[in-house]
Amino acid sequence: MTDTPKHPRGVLAGFGRMWAIALNTFREAVRNKVLAILVMFAVALMAFSLVLGQLSLHEEIRIIKDLGLAGISIFGVVIALFLGVNLLSKELDRKTVYAIVPKPLHRHEFLLGKYLGLVVTMVALVVLMSAVLAGFLLMQGGRHGVLMVRAEILILLELLLLMAVAMLFSSFSSPWLSAMFAGSLWVIGRNTAELEAFATGKLEGSAGGTVLGVVLELLPDFRMFFVSGANFDETVVSVHESFVSWAYVGSASAYAAAYGGMCLLIAVLLFQRRDFT
Amino acid sequence: MTAPVLEVDGLRKEFVRGFLRKRTVAVDGISFRVERGEVFGFLGPNGAGKTTTMKMLMGLIYPSSGKATILGAAVGDIEAKRRIGYLPENPYFYDYLSATEYLHMIGRIYGLDRAERHKRSSRLLERLGLAMAESRAMRSYSKGMLQRVGLAQALIGDPELVVLDEPMSGLDPIGRREVRDLIIELREQGKTVFFSTHILADANLLCDRVGIIVKGKLRDVGPLGELLSPKVLRIDVLWQGSEQLQAALREQFDGSEPGSEPGSEPTASPHSSSSEGQVFVAQAQAQLDRFVAAVIAGGGEISSVTPQRETLEQLFVRDSGSRPEEQRS
Ligand SMILES: Nc1ncnc2c1ncn2[C@@H]1O[C@H](COP(=O)(O)OP(=O)(O)O)[C@@H](O)[C@H]1O
Ligand SMILES: [Mg+2]
Repeated sequence: MTDTPKHPRGVLAGFGRMWAIALNTFREAVRNKVLAILVMFAVALMAFSLVLGQLSLHEEIRIIKDLGLAGISIFGVVIALFLGVNLLSKELDRKTVYAIVPKPLHRHEFLLGKYLGLVVTMVALVVLMSAVLAGFLLMQGGRHGVLMVRAEILILLELLLLMAVAMLFSSFSSPWLSAMFAGSLWVIGRNTAELEAFATGKLEGSAGGTVLGVVLELLPDFRMFFVSGANFDETVVSVHESFVSWAYVGSASAYAAAYGGMCLLIAVLLFQRRDFT
Repeated sequence: MTAPVLEVDGLRKEFVRGFLRKRTVAVDGISFRVERGEVFGFLGPNGAGKTTTMKMLMGLIYPSSGKATILGAAVGDIEAKRRIGYLPENPYFYDYLSATEYLHMIGRIYGLDRAERHKRSSRLLERLGLAMAESRAMRSYSKGMLQRVGLAQALIGDPELVVLDEPMSGLDPIGRREVRDLIIELREQGKTVFFSTHILADANLLCDRVGIIVKGKLRDVGPLGELLSPKVLRIDVLWQGSEQLQAALREQFDGSEPGSEPGSEPTASPHSSSSEGQVFVAQAQAQLDRFVAAVIAGGGEISSVTPQRETLEQLFVRDSGSRPEEQRS
């Protein structure tokens, strides 16, 4: 080949390389049958909420909303753990990484490109599941509305953060262990309120209480992302207008970006020094 | 004099493994150079340290000590990486991607535009005989097909230096022939080829020079002919003759010849019979001459004379003074 192609340089070229990895990761992920099955389960749960809605009096719409959001969240968490944990370990297991790392790209571009691919995948899945939920709501004469969109964005943020945590764990331990660690963190992170109450209540003043308090500060606070089914002013609402504002979504995004960014940074540092044997 | 394409200086890798922190020295301080435009064979038995060396050169693992310079840059330099193509050992690629999609992704990493990616990937898939499978998911590919995809992805960046780890493994005889032709073609294009193998026949006739690695140490570097040709171990003679002549020659050449090589078995009788006739194993040229003369004089016939050269395995044994490690895979 006589013509020498021009090579773009700088940040733009770096992004081009990450995008190449991301696109490939997205294709790999969405063609995996496991993912399709999990999404089908989420949709089945929403369909089931239609039946439950019929049984309740005048609460059909609320039940569809609650169960729909819960379905997106629960199956999203399973998908996030599955994808996040597999992201690196599969590359290492299958040795696909051996062909990529020697290519003209930096190791961190590879890792961030992989994560970017999962972000694209997760956005697509949440949009898909939300569209199905909106469809069910319309069928029952309800409205999806901007509040539901905010709730779904919050769920998406939670899933992106969880994937970053899962990826961090999998960069130094086995997939199963990583899934267990990240899964437990999610359970704990969803229940920080109870644990905080425990730390400041029963354990008040004790060394254990202080330690628990500090640990809780360090753990990801997943609770802030799930806003459905709360009890406000004596009435149960799916997503409460006064509470879930755009400002709230904005601050939750900032939190997810900061925490997730830290996880990615640590994962990059670990990945940088790693031997691919 | 141009700088060498690849310069390896005291490279060493020690693996620390498992709970007991067991140490394995996989590569034990090796140094060599590969010059521009040559085909350099990296020969050694399984477990010798070939893959480990290549992975260090490709920035996949970090050396314990020593350094390497590729195309004038340190290992891992992204501009140098742009000019290198690498085929990993027993390559595997993404389950759900097709060969075309994969090559396009690699092309994007190289910063090639769409038209160029398309041109190069279809040309390479054609050249490597994968055109019929180009849009099928790669998890349905056979080992030989994966090896071909591996070669395609190594070449799509039009590299100056091509590093191939066991490029012929997992291929049938036709596939091996094709890889051999490909390497010759690369040399004709002026590229430098550095490839590893544990099979001497694959390196024969193909390499300008070879480096022989045994147990992590580099034993020899030079043209293969120079390393092997003086070592004709023994000469097999296939002959026919009367029983009388057989008995006479068995007596005359009874294997207690002086100067027999340590690689052979001097205690065993040099005579045997096969379905095609009598077989005599000569240990040296002079003995062969006398034996052939005796057969002719006794009215017998010589069917064939075959020199048995030293095999790579025997060379490894000679060099290291011990058997090569057992075959791993
Ligand atoms: N990850 C590893 N941990 C420990 N030992 C290893 C590792 N990889 C390779 N080895 C050892 O290093 C030696 C060289 O291996 P390798 O480079 O794969 O040899 P070759 O490619 O020549 O067959 C072998 O003894 C092998 O067991
Ligand atoms: Mg090897």
